Amino acid sequence: MRARTVRVCTALAAVVVLATVVVGVATGSTADGLAGVLSLAAVGVGFVVVREQPTSAVGPAMAWCAAAPLTVVLVEALAQSAEGASPPPGASLAQAISVGIWPLNVAGLVALLLVFPDGRRPGWPWRAVPVLLLSATGATVFALWGSRQVGGEVVGAPSGPARVVAVIVGLALVATCVGLGVASVVQTYRHGDERRRLQVRWLALAGVVAAALLVAGWVAEGLGAPLALAYTPHLVAIVVLVPAAVGVAILRHDLFDVDRLLGDTVSALVTAFASAALFGAVVLVTSRAVGATSEVTTVTAAFVTALFLLPVHRWISSVVGAVVDHDRHVAVAGVERFAADVRAGHREPEEVQAVLRTAQRDPGLTLALVRVDGAWVDPQGVEVPEPDGVTVASGGVPIARIHLDHDTARARRRVADLATAAWVPIEVSRLRLGLRGAVAEAEASRARLVEGVAEERVRLERDLHDGAQQQIVATGMRLRRLQRDLDPVLAAEVDTVVADLEETVRELRRLAHGVRPARLDDGLGPALEAVRAASPVPVDLVVGDLPPADETRTVTAYLVVSEAVANALKHARARRIDVEVGSSGDRIAVEVRDDGVGGAPVDGPASLRDRVASVGGQLSVESVAGRGTTVRAVI
Amino acid sequence: MRGLRIVVADDSVLFREGLVRLLEDAGHDVVAAVGDAVLLRSAVAEHEPDLAVVDVRMPPGGTDDGALAAVELRSAWPGTGMLLLSQHVELRHCLPLLGRPGFGYLLKESVLHLDDFDRALRRVADGGVALDPVVVQALVSGQTAPSVVGLSVREREVLALVAQGLSNARIADQLRVSDRTVEAHMRAVFTKFGLPDDGDTNRRVLAVLAFLEANSRP
Repeated sequence: MRARTVRVCTALAAVVVLATVVVGVATGSTADGLAGVLSLAAVGVGFVVVREQPTSAVGPAMAWCAAAPLTVVLVEALAQSAEGASPPPGASLAQAISVGIWPLNVAGLVALLLVFPDGRRPGWPWRAVPVLLLSATGATVFALWGSRQVGGEVVGAPSGPARVVAVIVGLALVATCVGLGVASVVQTYRHGDERRRLQVRWLALAGVVAAALLVAGWVAEGLGAPLALAYTPHLVAIVVLVPAAVGVAILRHDLFDVDRLLGDTVSALVTAFASAALFGAVVLVTSRAVGATSEVTTVTAAFVTALFLLPVHRWISSVVGAVVDHDRHVAVAGVERFAADVRAGHREPEEVQAVLRTAQRDPGLTLALVRVDGAWVDPQGVEVPEPDGVTVASGGVPIARIHLDHDTARARRRVADLATAAWVPIEVSRLRLGLRGAVAEAEASRARLVEGVAEERVRLERDLHDGAQQQIVATGMRLRRLQRDLDPVLAAEVDTVVADLEETVRELRRLAHGVRPARLDDGLGPALEAVRAASPVPVDLVVGDLPPADETRTVTAYLVVSEAVANALKHARARRIDVEVGSSGDRIAVEVRDDGVGGAPVDGPASLRDRVASVGGQLSVESVAGRGTTVRAVI
Repeated sequence: MRGLRIVVADDSVLFREGLVRLLEDAGHDVVAAVGDAVLLRSAVAEHEPDLAVVDVRMPPGGTDDGALAAVELRSAWPGTGMLLLSQHVELRHCLPLLGRPGFGYLLKESVLHLDDFDRALRRVADGGVALDPVVVQALVSGQTAPSVVGLSVREREVLALVAQGLSNARIADQLRVSDRTVEAHMRAVFTKFGLPDDGDTNRRVLAVLAFLEANSRP
């Protein structure tokens, strides 16, 4: 639609509304004046929408929602003036058609339904609607030609079969137009994107409230309330609430949680009607039983209604929520199912990010957790900068934040609901992350400790070799020099002393060897050969290809073999020992088998186990009584 | 007996000075006494001595710089014998020289046996070999792969004990086999090395040396 056309149409509606106000004041008709004033709201919204969507028909349609009925009112006012002394021009024509043009009342509403929310008019059926509505008006004008309203009563209605048929056709056409309008809205909702759906929900919210107030009006009328009082809320809803809802839908569709608002409104209304029906039914049944309406029946009905009110409201809320806000219902249910699975141990809490992504339909959604030390980390524990998004808290303290790729106010509300459902998995995965971190830290610190000890051993060994041993040998050399000047008896004594010194050097060498076998300098294989050579029972040693390994791992492998061999000799009374050392991937694989008595503790000696574990290796011991012992380690 | 011209290299002043005095007392001429591998290289280049007595562990690296320098100098100065001294058996970098002429490897306390040490010095300076029994044992037992001459595991074990100077009876005791078994193993070893039967003791030494020779060949 062209912008100029849009502005002109809306301005025309404004003229009609203002004219109604003026006419109402001039003729002293309070009702007409009031209707005009209230309709200003709709026209105002129309103008605002026009400013927002200058080429869309929604603005004019909104304005004509109010202006169309007022046009009918104006025609009726003109028709009234025909009774006067000097009727203005066209008054008699107005009088002739005033009763028949009532289908025009819905023209604006139908137009709004057709073009809501962004002015698109899909397909040919919708283009037919104006033609249909004009035909309907033509039919009713023809049928009611010549009748007129006097004091609210229609008089002088002509009769005849042709006119009856025309009335029926007119009614049918109007119903068709309204039906097509509603169908258009439903179509928009079904095929629309998230934004359009939200906008339609705002309209639906107003529509539901208006319909509920209409029903309330019927009830009030049935109970004997004056017509003006009974239907005023409904009319106000139509004239004020619908424009307001349309305005919000077009301008600020994300203003409130319309999903929840709509759901809550519908469920509250349904609950109200249900409890009213229950109350009535109980009164009816008990009064039949007691025989007359009494305080007892009223109290009983009130009691029964109160009893059922809350559970019924809950049930209705969930049912209405599932219908009105199906997406959220499905998403939350999915997350709740996941949380239940996590509690039952069927799924891992760490899957929570993937579950939230699916439920939120946002593949770019990321979950950041607050680590125990306060840093933000992703679910794998990698540190990330503090993200923005929806915060998940525990007792007021943030534990996680969900960042949305598709970030709207509605998406945030939705994900907040999901986060509430996923609270337990989120907190558990956060705590598990903390636990893993603590364990890793403990392992790292143990490894550092072991490494420190290994370095210390190297240093100690070097000190023994280069310090004490050297000095003793040097001392021995000095003794040898002194010896030349001594008499044979003393010289023999020096020989003994030097022999003692030599023995001391050898002892120191053994000590140093126990600390850290210096032969490891030549590699693991030669060092293990020394173990084999020192064994009093045959040791079959097979050394395969070894992966490159650091000092700590090499020493560990060496000590596993030497200690296993020592144990086999000491405890197992083995007659033969097989040692195999090779590689398992990039790790050193060690296996020591003996043919001894077996029955060794299966987790191995604590010192060995700790040592292997500290370099991230595994130790296993297989030992059946009478069938020997096999010690395996992967380091 | 003519004294040798010797370069001494050891980073421990105490040991170095003690050794220099001992060598001089024994009538040798210590032409240079240095404390690290760099100075050792220049001293050998300058003096071209009969022999260099070198500590395995020395500055600047503090690990086995002495051994590395010895290997290098041995090929650069064929007239200079290399005798390595060490606190323990650490053969990594001198394997190519083991069993080769003009090379020796002794533990440091060997210097306390003055006569034996002096003989070892002269042997190496003359292009002979001087290996500490501990080194021989380490070498013999250190061959995990079957040797080039195809000794069995058991034969190697026996040979390692021979290298330590054990008699057949002691070897049999230690391996918990009979004397005759040990003799059979030794006969097999002699056969495999092609050693003629000209007196048992000599053949035993030759077997050990032949074994070293075979295994140290690249």
